[in-house]
Amino acid sequence: MIRLYNTSFRYPTGEGVTGINLKISPGDFVYLIGPSGAGKSTLLKLIYVDIFPQSGHIVVDRFNSLKFKKRYIPYLRRKIGIIFQDFKLLNDRNVFENISFVLRVTGTKKSEIKKRVLRVLAEVGLSHKRNKMPHQLSGGEQQRVAIARALVNEPIILLADEPTGNLDPAAADDILKLLENINIKGTAILMATHSDRLVRGTRKKIVNIHNGKLTI
Amino acid sequence: MLYHISQGIKGLFKAKFSTVFAIIIIAISLIVISVFLLAIVNTQRLVDSIHERMELELFVDNAMDSVDVNRIRKELDQIEGLKDIRFISREEAAQYFQSQFDADIFDILDENPLPASFRIKLTREYRSSAKVSLIIDHLKRMDGVDDVIFRQDLLAILEKYMRVAFVFVIAVGGILAFGSIYLVSNTIKLIIFSRVEIINIMKLVGATKNFIRKPFIVEGLIQGIWGALLAILILITVLRLVSIEIPNLIVIYDEIYWIILGLGLIFGFLGSMLALTKFLKY
Repeated sequence: MIRLYNTSFRYPTGEGVTGINLKISPGDFVYLIGPSGAGKSTLLKLIYVDIFPQSGHIVVDRFNSLKFKKRYIPYLRRKIGIIFQDFKLLNDRNVFENISFVLRVTGTKKSEIKKRVLRVLAEVGLSHKRNKMPHQLSGGEQQRVAIARALVNEPIILLADEPTGNLDPAAADDILKLLENINIKGTAILMATHSDRLVRGTRKKIVNIHNGKLTI
Repeated sequence: MLYHISQGIKGLFKAKFSTVFAIIIIAISLIVISVFLLAIVNTQRLVDSIHERMELELFVDNAMDSVDVNRIRKELDQIEGLKDIRFISREEAAQYFQSQFDADIFDILDENPLPASFRIKLTREYRSSAKVSLIIDHLKRMDGVDDVIFRQDLLAILEKYMRVAFVFVIAVGGILAFGSIYLVSNTIKLIIFSRVEIINIMKLVGATKNFIRKPFIVEGLIQGIWGALLAILILITVLRLVSIEIPNLIVIYDEIYWIILGLGLIFGFLGSMLALTKFLKY
């Protein structure tokens, strides 16, 4: 489903990743562990084509970076859900609108949008807060909205870039549990974190990244 | 489409200050351009009135009688490019001489030396040096025609200045238009800059460039329309004040208002398209 073949990308500052080989299959839950600046975000960016490999190549579903055109980017991103440490919600729209606008982007019918947004809100346990504005929610709740937004398009994989970085340990554990539940229902997850605490005792696949190189 | 329009309108209300600023910038640009256009149109009107007053004078050989004059008249009627053909008899020419010089020609000479003539105007299509030359050649070859006089030098000077003016108009008009679009685009860029976050999130969730662009284009078009209406309002007010002070100085054609509205829409559209280019790069 997702494969990186000897993929490298270096920023002019020297940071980045080198020679990455990685395979993520449907239903996988993979932790990407490494300190700040190790290349975790770079690797995720390569997958959602925010940056393009300088060498090697990447396959995401039916998209291959060797035959990739920039105009394919929106269509590739609809196959991928992404969440961030800072949630990246639209602060001028309520919870429902934050999620529904993803479906508007893909031209989904209005009646269908309502159904799917309510379903995904129920999944993250925020049905009762659908009319709240982001600033009226706690950090954990905001991340749940971001997860709902990432899921509403039924992606093949959820990329999570330090999703618990801004949360207290209890909220972080809740988010982790939520992600595990989502994974059980079939969505693959690649979660980047620098927190060893979160992965302690897990039986999920762990990939370590250090100075831009993977050590499994 | 309704979604994009509603998002566009919401966007305008969210950035009230920048929107008003953009509308004012568009209005100023349109006023500058329309004053320029009015100057061109009125200069053209002046040139046309000079052209309109220019006449060919065809002198009939004194040996010709009234039958010949009638023949010449009929021949002239057949020639394309001539209009308002007026016959001046020898007697009328003498009277004209008297009115011009305040002296009776018979006091100076024993007989009337002034020939009969035709004064002829040219239709609009035949007011170029080249075409006038052809007509004059033709007229001079006609039987019974003594001479044909026309201020060809004046026509040549007018043509020369019109050519210079045309290049000037194209250059200045082009600079003004590009400058205005650049200014409008930078103003819209300021508005967009405050919404970079939204654009980036839209890109992340798989919005196509077109989808992101549409509400901003709606915004640009609305700003363009308001800018144009403001410009028209200011222009009408100023022109009315000027025409009270100096009547008939400027002639205004109603088309100018449609042109301003059209340009406003173009500025709004191109302005937002240009402004977005930077932010829509993947």
